[in-house]
Formats: sequence, C-alpha cells, structure tokens
Amino acid sequence: MITQVKNPILEIHDLTVSYDQSPVLWNVDLSLPSGKLIGILGPNGAGKSTLIKAIMGLVDPSGGYVKLFDKTLAEVRSRISYVPQRESVDWNFPASVLDVVMMGTYGKLGLFKRPGKKEKELSMESLEKVGMHGFANRQISELSGGQQQRVFIARSLAQNADLYLMDEPFAGVDMATETAIFELLKEMTAAGKTVIVVHHDIYSAVNYFDWFIMLNLHLVASGPKETAMTEELLSKTYGGKLNLLTKVSDLIRQKDFNPLKN
Amino acid sequence: MEDFVYFFTFQDSSIAFVVIGIILLGVGSAYVGTYSFLDKKALLGDAISHAVLPGICVGFILAGEKNPLFIVSGAFISGALATFLSSWLNKSTRLSEDAIIASILSIFFGFGIVLLTIIQKSGNPEMAGLNQFIFGNAIAILESDVYIYGGLAIFIILCLTVFQKEFSLLVFNPDYGRAIGFPMGMIRVTFNVLLILSVVIGIQAIGVVLMAALLITPGAAARFWTDRLGVLVILAGTFSAISGVLGTYISFVIPQMPTGPWVVVFLSIIALISFLFAPKKGVLSRYLSRRIYLRKTHRDHLLKLLYKGIEANKPGLPIAEIHEAFPFQKTQTKQSIGNLSKDKFITQSQLVIELSSTGRSEAKRIVRLHRLWELYLNEYMNIAPDHVHDTAEKLEHLLSPEMEELLESRLNFPKLDPHQENIPRD
Amino acid sequence: MSFDQNAFLIIITAAMIAISCGLLGVFMMLRKMSMTGDAISHAVLPGIVIGFFISGSQRGLEVIIGAGILGILATLMIDWLRRKARVQLDASIGITFTLLFAIGIILINLLAYKVDLDQECVLYGEIAYLPIDLWLTKSGLNLGPRILYLSLLNLILVITFIILFFKELKVTSFDENFSKVIGIPAGLINLFLMSMVSYTTVSSFEAVGAILVVALLVVPPATAFLWTRKLKLLIQLTIAIGIGISIVGYYLAYFFDSSIAGMIVSVAGIGFLASALFKSKSFLSRFGTSRTSVSFEKTV
Repeated sequence: MITQVKNPILEIHDLTVSYDQSPVLWNVDLSLPSGKLIGILGPNGAGKSTLIKAIMGLVDPSGGYVKLFDKTLAEVRSRISYVPQRESVDWNFPASVLDVVMMGTYGKLGLFKRPGKKEKELSMESLEKVGMHGFANRQISELSGGQQQRVFIARSLAQNADLYLMDEPFAGVDMATETAIFELLKEMTAAGKTVIVVHHDIYSAVNYFDWFIMLNLHLVASGPKETAMTEELLSKTYGGKLNLLTKVSDLIRQKDFNPLKN
Repeated sequence: MEDFVYFFTFQDSSIAFVVIGIILLGVGSAYVGTYSFLDKKALLGDAISHAVLPGICVGFILAGEKNPLFIVSGAFISGALATFLSSWLNKSTRLSEDAIIASILSIFFGFGIVLLTIIQKSGNPEMAGLNQFIFGNAIAILESDVYIYGGLAIFIILCLTVFQKEFSLLVFNPDYGRAIGFPMGMIRVTFNVLLILSVVIGIQAIGVVLMAALLITPGAAARFWTDRLGVLVILAGTFSAISGVLGTYISFVIPQMPTGPWVVVFLSIIALISFLFAPKKGVLSRYLSRRIYLRKTHRDHLLKLLYKGIEANKPGLPIAEIHEAFPFQKTQTKQSIGNLSKDKFITQSQLVIELSSTGRSEAKRIVRLHRLWELYLNEYMNIAPDHVHDTAEKLEHLLSPEMEELLESRLNFPKLDPHQENIPRD
Repeated sequence: MSFDQNAFLIIITAAMIAISCGLLGVFMMLRKMSMTGDAISHAVLPGIVIGFFISGSQRGLEVIIGAGILGILATLMIDWLRRKARVQLDASIGITFTLLFAIGIILINLLAYKVDLDQECVLYGEIAYLPIDLWLTKSGLNLGPRILYLSLLNLILVITFIILFFKELKVTSFDENFSKVIGIPAGLINLFLMSMVSYTTVSSFEAVGAILVVALLVVPPATAFLWTRKLKLLIQLTIAIGIGISIVGYYLAYFFDSSIAGMIVSVAGIGFLASALFKSKSFLSRFGTSRTSVSFEKTV
C-alpha cells in the first residue's frame, strides 16, 4: 500500500538505481510528509542505503528523479543533513569530538572562511542535545560505538537543517544510546523537522516511526503503520527476493554494460 | 635492418644468452607478480624492489666486487627484512597499509642510496656494475649470470606451477585453506621468499624503480583475456617475455639506452591494448557490445511499431511515418530497415513497409515480452501503470525464452497488460 | 670557515623541503593516498625533462608547469584505469607511474644533448653539489640561493594552500561523502592537493631527487602519527621532525661522506622505526604504564 501525500517534503519519481552493474532499486515512486519520523526498512541488500545515497546525490540514478522541498538537491543543500553509516569513516582520524561536529557548519561557511565563535557555540549546543557536552575535546579514536554515533548526529544537528537523512544510526549501539537517540529524534519531529532513518530492526521499528517505507529492491509499501505494516506486506518485504527480479538482475550483470543506463 | 637480423638470429652467442636471461627473468617475475596482483598486494612488490638496494650495496661492500652470491644474499636479506617489518608494522601500529608500504619503500631506498654514494666515493672501479641495479641493463648480462639468475627463475616458475593449488588458496581464500588443514603460514612465507627472489633477479634487467612494472603489468594485462588461473599466468609470462626481448633489442641497437624503461614501455603498450581490445572486458569491446545491443534494440522497436500498426488496422506503414516515430535517428532507422529486410522480417513495396510472417511472430514476441514485463512490474512491484513502460522498453530485448516461460506461468497467462492492451500469442 | 655558511644553507633548504613535503604528506596519509603520492613523484619526471628541453638550459617556469601537467595527467590516468578500464587500484597506480617514469628516463637519454639531467641526479638529487658548484663555476653564486629561494617559495605556497583550504582538506579527508553532500567540491580539492604534490616534487627534485621526496612526504607524518592523534600536534610534530632530520642527516652525511638526501631519509627511517618499536602494543604492555583506552564496543 503506497500512500502519496500532497505537498510532500520529498518526492521520488520513477527512480531506478543501479549499483555496480546490477539494478538495486526499480521504479520507486513515493512522496513523504514533513514533520514525521520516517523509517526505511527491508532485508540486507534491499536497496535502503542506495535509496538514501540516491536522494543525497551520491549515486546517479539510471532513471527518474528526486525532488526535495519541490526543488532539486543543488538548490536546497543547506536545508538537508546527512548522517552516513558509522563504518564509512576511519575513526583513527586525528580529530576531536568538537572538530567533527564543527564540520557540520562548514557547508554554510563557504570556502576560505574559518569557523568562529558562532560555529563553536552551535556545535556545543548540538553536543549538549546528544549528551556529549563533556566529550568535546576527546579524541574520536577513544569513543565507543554509541558515542561515535552520537557525534555523527551532533554533526548533523549543527547543520541546522529541516530534513535529516540517517543511514542506520541505531546499528551496533547500546540500549541507552538507542533510547537517547530516539528521544532526540522525537523532539526534532515535534519541532517540525523531518527525519528519515534507515533502520535494521523490524521489531523496534514498529514503535519508533510514524511512517514506514518498505523496500525489497522495489517499493513494497509507503505509509503509516496501519497501511504499510500489514502481514502480507511484511512477507513481501522480508520473504525473499522476487525470483524473476533476481534472474533479470543476473542477466543484466552478465552483460558488460548496463542496459538500463542511458 | 641488419641489426635486426643479427639480433634475432642469435648469431652472437652473448646476445642469445641475454635474450634467454631476460625471458627467464621476465617470466619468473610475471608469475610471482600475477599472484601478488590477484592478492591485491601488487604494490608490496614495488616496496620490496626498492628495499633490496641496501642489501645489494652491503653485499658488494663485503665482497669488494660484483659477486653474484654476495649480492643476491644481501638483496635477499634486505628484502626479507623489509617484508618482515611491513607485516610487523601492520600488526603493531594503527598506520594504514599504504603508509606502511610507502614508508618502508622510501626508508630502505634512502638507506640504500647512502650506501651507494659511499661506495661511489670510495672509487672502487667495480662500482660501475652496481649502477646497473638501479636502472637495469640486460645487455650486461653475462653467460655466468644467466646460469645463476636463470636457474633461480626456473626454480620460481617450477615452484609456482607445482604448487599452484596451494598458492591460489593463499590468494583467494586463505581462511578456507587453513580450515582444510593447509599450512597457510608456511605457504605465505614461501610466497614471500619467491617474491623477493624474483625481485632480486629481475632488477638486473629492469632496475629497482621499474621492477614493479615487471611484477604488476603482465598480470593486470593478462587478466583481461582470461578468468582461468593457469592460462592467466602463462599469458602474463608470455607478455613479459615479448616485452623483455623487444626492450633488449632497443638497448642493443641504441647502446646508451638502458633496457628497463623500454621493457616497461612495451609492457604498457601490451597492457593498454589488453585494456582496450580484450574481448568482453576491454573498453572498446564493451563499447561495441553496447552499440550492437542498442542497434538490436532499435530494430526491435521498429518491429513493435509495425505490429502496433497492425493492431490499429494498418497492415503496413509508410517509411516516412516510421522515420517520424524515431526523430533524430535517421541513419539508425535506415540501417534497421536494411537489416530487417535482409533477415526477411519485413517487406518493402513502393514506400510502404510490412511485416513478413516471420517478422510478425518476432514482433509479437517482443510486444508480448514488453507487456508481460509491464504487468509484472505493475502487479508484483506495485509500480504505477504510467511508469512501467520505460523499464519494459529497455528490458524486452534481454528476456530469454526461459524468462518468458517463467513470466507467463507467474502471471498465469494473462490476457491484458496494465494499459488494457492485448498480450499477443500465437 | 665558509663551510659553515654552506652547511647552514643546505640545512635550511633541506628543512624547508622537508616541511613542505611533510605538510602535504599529512593529508596524503590521512586520505590513505601515500602510494599515490609516491606514484606522482615518479610520474612527473617526463614533465620535468620536457620542461628542461623547452626552456633550454634555463631551469624555469616551464619545468614547474611540465611537472604540474604530468601530475594531473598521472592522477587522471590512474582514475581512468580504475573507473573506465576497470583495473584494480593498486595495479592502476603501479602501471601509471612505471610507464611515466620509464618515458622520463627514455627522454633523458634521447634529449641528453640538450638536457643537462643526470639519471642518478633525478633519483636522489645532490643538494651537496650546490656549495661545491659555487667553488667551480663562475655563475656559481646564483646556484645556491636559487634552490633556496625555490624551496622558500614552495614552502610559502604550501603553507598558504593548507591554511586557505584547511577545513576543506580536513573534512574531505575524514568523510568524503559527507563533504560532497554539504556542497564541498571534493574532486577539485583532491586535484589541487595532487597538483601541490607535483609542484613540490619538481621544486625539490634538484636537491633531494624525485624518489626521496616520497620519503619526506610519508615518513615524518607517519612517525608523528605514532605519537599523537591531535591534528594540530600532528602537523607541528611533522614540522619538528622535518627540521630535526635535516640537521642530523646533514652532519651524518658529512661524517660518512654520503648522499645528504639519502642520509636525511635514513635518519627519518631510524626515528620512524624507533617510534614504532617504542609505541608498539607489546612494548608498551611490557615496559610502559598501563593505560586502558576508554572504548567499550569498538567499531568494525
């Protein structure tokens, strides 16, 4: 059951994305309401991360487009925040917690300007919101998994955006951190922000989110719990890949080029 | 011209030895290097080739002359030390692998340069031979050298061939090897020994800096032609041998040219040819595949167009109308019409094109695949009817008869597609 | 004795080169591109030779431009091999730099009648020749300071580059995807960095040779990284190491009568290996104070 909304904050139209020669997302059509906590769910390899990356412009789609605030990504970059997966960086990097959070302010600063007092205050506020205020000068290599995740979120808060996209922010994180982050996300949506989260665990998802996007190489459902999380839709999402789709993907991968790309 | 004949008919026995030497050296390095390449540790060979320099110098200092035994031993110990330090640094520090390799490479080389300049200043006349190690000069390979270094090369080649199973386990799946009881640690050490040995003998011909090419390039080039390990290694060796001989030839004809760079140039040319023209993996091959596919796609679209004409009660379509359906593709359309006529899928009378009977079933098949796929996208993936067309348009050319059967049975032999159009069957 | 003045000149020049290389090298190391730095410093050779050839015997702007172009060319070649031809990364680097270096050597030989470049000089330079040249040649007095001024200019430009783009370099080195998303031109920053590396290589090769530039790019930052995780300290330590090895290296080279550049690198190497030993986990647990780090669940 795919629910479409009027005046969506994010609109995805007929999006097809290939990754490494094979299609990972087929013809995704959805629109999302603002001010909600939205979860993207699906099994491994379902295309969840790819969807976020396509929205953020990090991978090029083979077809279709994405509209944010009814505009293109380039026009509204300053209103969007991205939290990548924790493993995507090397935490041995010589930086303090505050250093990383301040990176969230770089976008608005532009080239050649150095971050100043205003940026530092904003970063400290963000750290406060994730409960890491006292860790400002700690080296990131000394942090636990949960603390690293909080730092990443603080960085995105420092961007002061309206739409937040987070890739598996709850993965490998202790219970206390998970609860804390969830509380924070709820506060943010209450304040009118929209937060889209790729989540790995179906059980906790049921209680966390207002809106559910179910992916399995294609869009199975998009909508509130009642319409998107029925038993039938759950088995369509988690019940294994569509046989034909897998076969076609194999056929495509065997070719030396991607026939779906223009 | 006479140089060419003189060289290649081996009238001069010293030339024959040089050629044999360089072939053996090159093949040995290509063999070992290919495994390194598959192991994704290709640049380790680069580090080792720089790292043997201090060992060579120490060997020279101790022997007082260019004594192969001392030099090889020195180089070997130096290389082994570098390899050991690399893995130790990997385990004991948080430095990244590339930083470790680059550090070992430059530190050992720097130290080697120190020793080299000390030797140079000492005024030992034998020293001229040492410079050969940095830049390589195959022409200077003596008969005695060939026996020693050639012998070592043959040893390396034999080792790798006889123990192909063990070394491929090392490169592809060491954990599995360990699990089934192979002594992976020993195998790794043996491999490193072979790698260091091949570096030591290879730098004679090609020099320290360019040795990496002798290890990496043949394997990288051969990889584009085959997926089978046995063939891969032999092909790499062949490329290396060819480049070695050609490079030596240039050095022979223009005496002041060092051999090394020319061997690398020929190897790189072979590599570039492989990257561009190898069937299936080559850049050009992929490009051509795509062009051929796009042309087939266009022909299919033309057939479909004619079929849709029949559905709309127009048994044939005028050429002008066909061209109109494919704006900006005039040459392509002309080509497709030509090809389809040749294959007897269409007939042309005056300016109207009609489907032949074979053409009609082929067109039916494509239309059927298109509409089946549209139905599949719509029913199984909840994709809106107005979004299924583009994807189906691209995929209809790919779907095999087996896939067609699957689609039919999965969708239960449907009559209509999402646009309420008929799904044609014979 | 005038030797002291020469010693001072040489040490100052070497230190400046070490600092320029070290500063750029810190970011190369953080981006895990140390071997690419190695490749670029080899790859610029044909550019240097062609630049020499075009400008006659005057070493000037052409050489720097030639090297810059080759540096960018090398980066583009590696990228093309990896992305279009689909060759794995380490092989792309290896093939590119060996080919370009080989072409450079061939050019040196072909153009020897006009280009005053010695093969060995290219590899390890001879910073010591400059004062000695001063004694022998008439135009001598310009030679020494010339390299000095070149290195000084290089240092100023490198420092300016790093200061101007400090936050961009930091964020693109730490989290490239995030940097792209917030609108930072990551690809351009990378190209700038590679260009600075090429420029620094060519500016320094007469003194220390192309290959030893690699050592100065890689070893001081790696050594510093063993001692600290704070970026500011890392940079300061790299600079200090650069100065230290220049001083010690020079005097040891004088004592052993060897290549100065080679000795500087060897000293750097000893410092590096000693640091690694001192800071290694087994050493620390046996001889150091136990200081458990504050991490519970470590990342993957």
